[in-house]
Amino acid sequence: MASENDDMGLEMSSITMLNKYSNTSESDPFFSSGWDPIVSQSESLGGSSMASHYHLVMENQGISGTSHVSQYQSSPSFVELVPKITGFDGGNLSQIPGPFSLPQCNQIANSNERGSKYSLRSLDEHRIPETLVGTSPNGKIRKRSPESDSPLRSCKNGDEEPGMDLSSEGCDGPREQAGKKPKTEQNSGANSRGKQAAKQDKDSSQSGEAPKENYIHVRARRGQATNSHSLAERLRREKISERMRLLQELVPGCNKITGKAVMLDEIINYVQSLQQQVEFLSMKLATVNPELNIDLDRILSKDILHPQSAAVLGFGPGTNPSHTFSPSTFTGTISGFPNTNPGFLPLPQTVLENEVQNLFQMGFYPGSTMDGFGLDGRLKPEM
Amino acid sequence: MNPSSLKSRFTTRFLRALTKINAHKPISSSSPGPGEIFQRYRRIKVAADKSMAYSVRSRRTWSRATLWRLRTRSPRSRLATHARRSWVKTRSTRAASHGKEKKEDGGTVEAEELRELVPGGEAMDLCNLLDETAHYIKCLTTQLDILDRQECTSREL
Repeated sequence: MASENDDMGLEMSSITMLNKYSNTSESDPFFSSGWDPIVSQSESLGGSSMASHYHLVMENQGISGTSHVSQYQSSPSFVELVPKITGFDGGNLSQIPGPFSLPQCNQIANSNERGSKYSLRSLDEHRIPETLVGTSPNGKIRKRSPESDSPLRSCKNGDEEPGMDLSSEGCDGPREQAGKKPKTEQNSGANSRGKQAAKQDKDSSQSGEAPKENYIHVRARRGQATNSHSLAERLRREKISERMRLLQELVPGCNKITGKAVMLDEIINYVQSLQQQVEFLSMKLATVNPELNIDLDRILSKDILHPQSAAVLGFGPGTNPSHTFSPSTFTGTISGFPNTNPGFLPLPQTVLENEVQNLFQMGFYPGSTMDGFGLDGRLKPEM
Repeated sequence: MNPSSLKSRFTTRFLRALTKINAHKPISSSSPGPGEIFQRYRRIKVAADKSMAYSVRSRRTWSRATLWRLRTRSPRSRLATHARRSWVKTRSTRAASHGKEKKEDGGTVEAEELRELVPGGEAMDLCNLLDETAHYIKCLTTQLDILDRQECTSREL
């Protein structure tokens, strides 16, 4: 797989040269194998920047990038290699970078990412090839290896930035700030690289997210401060917002709420109402439960294996048209505790009505098993 | 139904506790006094919370806190409550300072409220608190579901 054509061979040789810098022995198959999935994935992800970067770098080398890329994509051997490598690093399998192990990450990650970022930036700005050309001689040694990018990515985040240009820039800055392990690697390339590139790479890096590792590598987004505090804070904020999103899904009727304070208020109300409901139901159980011999098996079977029948029985005479949760109604229910008994008498339901109500509940609570928010339908909220 | 799911675990535990509670009260056919009802209500509620917390074991902070709370509810264990309070205070001050240092926009006020609601949430920063809240909500809904079904089935009996 090393040389599909002469140009590829050139790059492969550069990759092998890069391997000399890296200490791991398995870097070679990593690099070569990582190429294809990186390319395919990035393109599949719509990482046009990657392709364009490829294109640009290819231009520098006199190769048409697209053809090169397509060539890689067509080769199945790379793809085959990927699963093998997948077992290597079980940590980060969310994306292509997953297969690549940490040692590589150590060695190549920083500079490669930096270089890629820089090249990307140059692409963004005006496609200035000279900068790339300037770096490419050095970059030739540390080729734009998507592999090196991918371990970086696996270490860092899952963005689709094509870490093509491997400039061994010692951009440990943000990573050291956010991460706990200082990433040391060969900075020789960084020195040999253009100072301008190095500086730019140090200052701004690609967007990043926390990977699934013990320590978290954070990348500052472009144009954002790379202060360690701000980075950590940004990471923290992202975590919090992610959890708020999860909570938004849990709490019914919070899809339109955008805002942490309002969302938190809703969550608080919901938790309060849930707790009140528990108290209310346990009170009901205390009053309604005169029979002493509750057949455990019967109840288990009824509760678990036939949830519909039990659920429907409690549905009461009316149906609950409003499937959206409203805390006020439940608090009304709680306050009206002494008067709730008549409303909850389960009328004898025909089988047809059961089915209708099942359908109703299914339709209104799609995907929610009976233990989801189906409770809303069972209790009578308007009480 | 998944035999080892949270729901089934909780159901079995809770029903077992419920049968025990019902066995404890031989005379309930006649209208029980409010005190009795209240006592039963307390027991049932405790059973519900306890079974839920036991189903979750110690994997979650809120379940640990709930179990602790249930264990040290009795006044005799004043030492335990005092120890817990001091521990909570140290953790909460640490968490509070941590939270205040990076003040979320209006998040601290509601976060405090949430902390009071979610058991064991006093000594957690916002990030973990939200995590706990999500799991707590999920478990509460499961609990409510089973309680509701139980109530329905016992009603129809």
